[in-house]
Amino acid sequence: MMDRFFISVLGSVVLGSVAWLISSKHVASPSPTDPNVKLELVSEQDALVPGEELVLGIRFDLQDGWHTYWMNPGDSGEAPNIEWQLPVGFRAGPIQWPYPERLATPPFADYGYEHQVLLIVPVRLPARLREGQTEKIAARVHYLICRDVCIPGQKQLALSLPVRNRAAASPARELFAATRARIPKPTPPNWKISAATMRDEFVLNLQTGESTSMLQFFPLHPEQIENAASQEMTVSPGGRRLHLKKSNHLLEPIARLQGVIVLDSERAYSVDVPVSRSSQMSTRY
Amino acid sequence: MQRSPYRFLLIVLLLISSAYAVKVGESAPDFQATDSNGQLHTLAQYRGKFVVLEWHNNGCPYTRKHYDSGNMQRLQRDWTSKGVVWFTVISSAPGQQGFVTAQQENDYLKQMKASPSAALLDPQGDVGRLYSAKTTPHMFVINPEGVLVYDGAIDSKATTDQADIANAKNYVSQALVEAMANKPVTIPTSRPYGCSVKYAH
Repeated sequence: MMDRFFISVLGSVVLGSVAWLISSKHVASPSPTDPNVKLELVSEQDALVPGEELVLGIRFDLQDGWHTYWMNPGDSGEAPNIEWQLPVGFRAGPIQWPYPERLATPPFADYGYEHQVLLIVPVRLPARLREGQTEKIAARVHYLICRDVCIPGQKQLALSLPVRNRAAASPARELFAATRARIPKPTPPNWKISAATMRDEFVLNLQTGESTSMLQFFPLHPEQIENAASQEMTVSPGGRRLHLKKSNHLLEPIARLQGVIVLDSERAYSVDVPVSRSSQMSTRY
Repeated sequence: MQRSPYRFLLIVLLLISSAYAVKVGESAPDFQATDSNGQLHTLAQYRGKFVVLEWHNNGCPYTRKHYDSGNMQRLQRDWTSKGVVWFTVISSAPGQQGFVTAQQENDYLKQMKASPSAALLDPQGDVGRLYSAKTTPHMFVINPEGVLVYDGAIDSKATTDQADIANAKNYVSQALVEAMANKPVTIPTSRPYGCSVKYAH
């Protein structure tokens, strides 16, 4: 009886300290050297469930005036890059980039993020993980932040999570949800989107069946459009047209126009359409 | 009053030239700039030679990658020894990162053992804007006929890490090698990578 009591007390103490260790490791240490940005590795779930998906994020907290970059950084800058150090069998997917802001660096423009951004990365977990065990997830993040000057940095981040048969939401869940609203979705099936190449511009033709007062396009590939050129929206029969000035660096015709369109500064969709060479705008689903 | 038609023509020409954008395969716009020794240069006077333009900001980590490693100095030495005219162009406005006086630039060139043909001081950003120079570095190669044959990055690894230089493809050298052999330039444009040029606002 004594033994059992002792084991259960010891067990609680051990579990308690493990829990304390884990909770303290939820917060990766901020960089003491760069006061302009703080990076943290966060998880949407509080535990690892074998065979399921774990949703991780790298959170950037930037001081006022500083920015980091989108996957296509635009006219200058560089996108962050994550090197994962994961336990055996963990597979990290690509970064789910939220749509960026267009940052003017006259006479040019960059695409990036100010204040705060979460770069979400889904991770597939192996089916065989021992319950009760704790796994350490680590990442080295290389990034560039700029204001009027640019500072490159890299940061080693880590997070430890226990293996359980079910997970609950972590305190970071709201940030994940808010970020997801900015991650481009596939275009609805009833939309008609097409693109045509003109002499100096691409014209993106959208028929969404709803009225839109503002459209923004962010190109996936650099050097296709002039990033700083204003994107003029015109009304077409049953839709909207967005005029995108071609980049001077574009010497060959492009087959597809790929990027993100943002409607009324709040809803983002992925666009990937063939570029038609005829001056007639062909519509397709 | 007699002069007004000419004045009109001049304004039209100015408007055309300001709307003119540099494009590979087209003739590179002429410019005029003073170097760190007070000497005036125009592009036109170097017709018959290959000209390289290198946008520069001594505080930018991407520029420093190529200077602290000695890569840029090596390129300057190698290509000027083959008769190429190499201009380092500084378009940082006064008060902005990378702005230097003539004396500061000469000290820097000496300290870094850099040997461009000249360092052009462009604090008003006129040459930079004429060429749509976006980043430091941003590289241009002009052939002896005055045609722009390369516009873009210095190499294929868009990072600040010096260790990447060894495994990067240097687009400037490749363009020069190909153009000197009368071959088409395989990669005539690329996304220039670096800090934004610190133009006057």
